[in-house]
Amino acid sequence: MIALPPIGFVGLSGALLAVGIFGILTRRNFVLLLISIEVAMNAAILDFVYFAAYAPGTANGLSGQSIAVVLVGFAATEVAVGLAIVLALYRVKGTINVAEATDLKL
Amino acid sequence: MNLPELAFVALAATAVVTAVGALLVRELVHTIMWIAVFFVDLAAIYFLLEAPFLGVLQLGVYAGAVTVLLLLGIMVTRKRIFSREAATGIGPAALALALLAFVFVVTAVGEFPNAAQPIHSYDPAALSQNLFGANGAWLLLLGLVMLVSVAGAIYLVREGRE
Repeated sequence: MIALPPIGFVGLSGALLAVGIFGILTRRNFVLLLISIEVAMNAAILDFVYFAAYAPGTANGLSGQSIAVVLVGFAATEVAVGLAIVLALYRVKGTINVAEATDLKL
Repeated sequence: MNLPELAFVALAATAVVTAVGALLVRELVHTIMWIAVFFVDLAAIYFLLEAPFLGVLQLGVYAGAVTVLLLLGIMVTRKRIFSREAATGIGPAALALALLAFVFVVTAVGEFPNAAQPIHSYDPAALSQNLFGANGAWLLLLGLVMLVSVAGAIYLVREGRE
């Protein structure tokens, strides 16, 4: 049986969340935006998996892993819809630069 | 430092480096390569955490499906696949907000006991019972969201839509 301290995992997920937020705020390409969102979501999933180990064998411990499974499904769905938006955006604008998708601006 | 801790440090460093690399390289195809390594690396961390089902799911869904979908998205939206992105600088405000998020998450560590927590393995059968029993509602919600998003995606990319 292995033992790992929480600081490493929370630090890693915090760092991944920071990278994701940074990417969401600075990248203008829609695919890069999607990737940034995925990195941030993976930070959350990592936390769910790690803290499931805090209540091993109980319903709470298993719930952490169950929610992680559901989150992976949500993330995959989000990428599928994101790709559909990429294709629709490219068809209308001829580019996937989100800075040019300003049709709804007042 | 024992072997699992050493493995974790190596995997964590690789995860951060590949995530940053994916966002900083200017060729989008290289970004996908970096992010594929990132997903495989996270799967290895799940295996280290004695969560083999999630590790396999991560490999199949993220490293497999999501990577290929993103690659397809790049393939169909550019004339030359290996073309470079225009450089988008590093905004100080974005960097500050990212650092703030990091500090915010890391300060939560104080709430938990500092000692290393032993990681227990679990029975995948118990996980599936939990997933289809106590957390069945989440799974149903996921199914519903997937159904609606498939309908939405088909609506968005259907022929003859301007």
